[in-house]
Amino acid sequence: MDLLRRSGDHSGTDYGLDGIVDGNGGSGVGHEKELLAFVDAAIAGSLTETTKARTAIEAGLGREAMIDAAAVIAGFDAITRVADGTGIPLEPPKAEASADWRARLGIDDYWTAKV
Amino acid sequence: MRTELSEAVERAWKALGGCGVWWTGEERLTIAREARAARHCTLCHQRKATAIPHAVMGSHTTATTLSPPAIEAIHRIVTDPGRLSEAWYKRIIATGLTEEAYTELLSIVAMTTAIDTFDRALGVPIRELPPAGAGQPSRRRPVGAKPGLGWMPMLAPADVADDDPPLYAIAGRSGGNVQRALSLVPQAMMQFWEMFEPMYLHQNAMRDFGREYRAVSHPQIEMMAARVAVQNQCIY
Repeated sequence: MDLLRRSGDHSGTDYGLDGIVDGNGGSGVGHEKELLAFVDAAIAGSLTETTKARTAIEAGLGREAMIDAAAVIAGFDAITRVADGTGIPLEPPKAEASADWRARLGIDDYWTAKV
Repeated sequence: MRTELSEAVERAWKALGGCGVWWTGEERLTIAREARAARHCTLCHQRKATAIPHAVMGSHTTATTLSPPAIEAIHRIVTDPGRLSEAWYKRIIATGLTEEAYTELLSIVAMTTAIDTFDRALGVPIRELPPAGAGQPSRRRPVGAKPGLGWMPMLAPADVADDDPPLYAIAGRSGGNVQRALSLVPQAMMQFWEMFEPMYLHQNAMRDFGREYRAVSHPQIEMMAARVAVQNQCIY
């Protein structure tokens, strides 16, 4: 999310993070609804919903965008496991810069769920 | 599909069957097979639904004859990665899996997960596992790996020796924490990142917001990445 904020800083856009966390949208990112639906369906492994989302993205953004979106989802489905399976911490500057919104969005609660 | 992406996925898949540093090719494929089976494990589903996973006793539904700590590691990494803890990791190591073998196992599970998720998202059948390569693991541990960052020792850029692979010399890799995560097994780290970077972005493209490198934009990529992290309860 830090890089989404930085991307917004570059373009002068204040992307909303809340809707990415709660799944309700409102981030201001183009084609947000289709892309978030694609993420949720692919991670859940729902064949029907993945097909619907894939079709919607191809219609709205094109086939290459659908493929690149699938690749991003796949890559992050893996790298989250690498991060959580090795116990690496956030770098101090990243932790400091993200402290406010991590707390506000409930992301810090993930720490307390670790057992 | 971008050639770089298709080649990276094919290369990573083939590498799953190649001889590793701590596991043979056949053993690596057994780990991949178990990672696929873990999604259907009843015990894992029950544990996922509780506040304290290890409070639910029972046996995993397995597809292989891997050792109990390897099975437990694979199943938790696949089904509940966001709640993995250092205490859990220490139990895995205390029950017989070495830190190096665990690290390579994690890379295999991660690569299998990535490529299966990619295929499912594209609406194509998940692929057959590749053939097993020959050879015996070298069991070479990087001399410069040091404890202190994550749960296991890791190899910082300044500690990479001449006989280590060029872990951080590619595409602007800075040696951030997540890049170091698998570095106790340099081959595993290289294989993972050579797959991951074409799926996402090379490091020198990540903050190059004035140019788009994919058919989806920087904000779209980062929004999706963030949502995957939320779904997997990953803080990093």
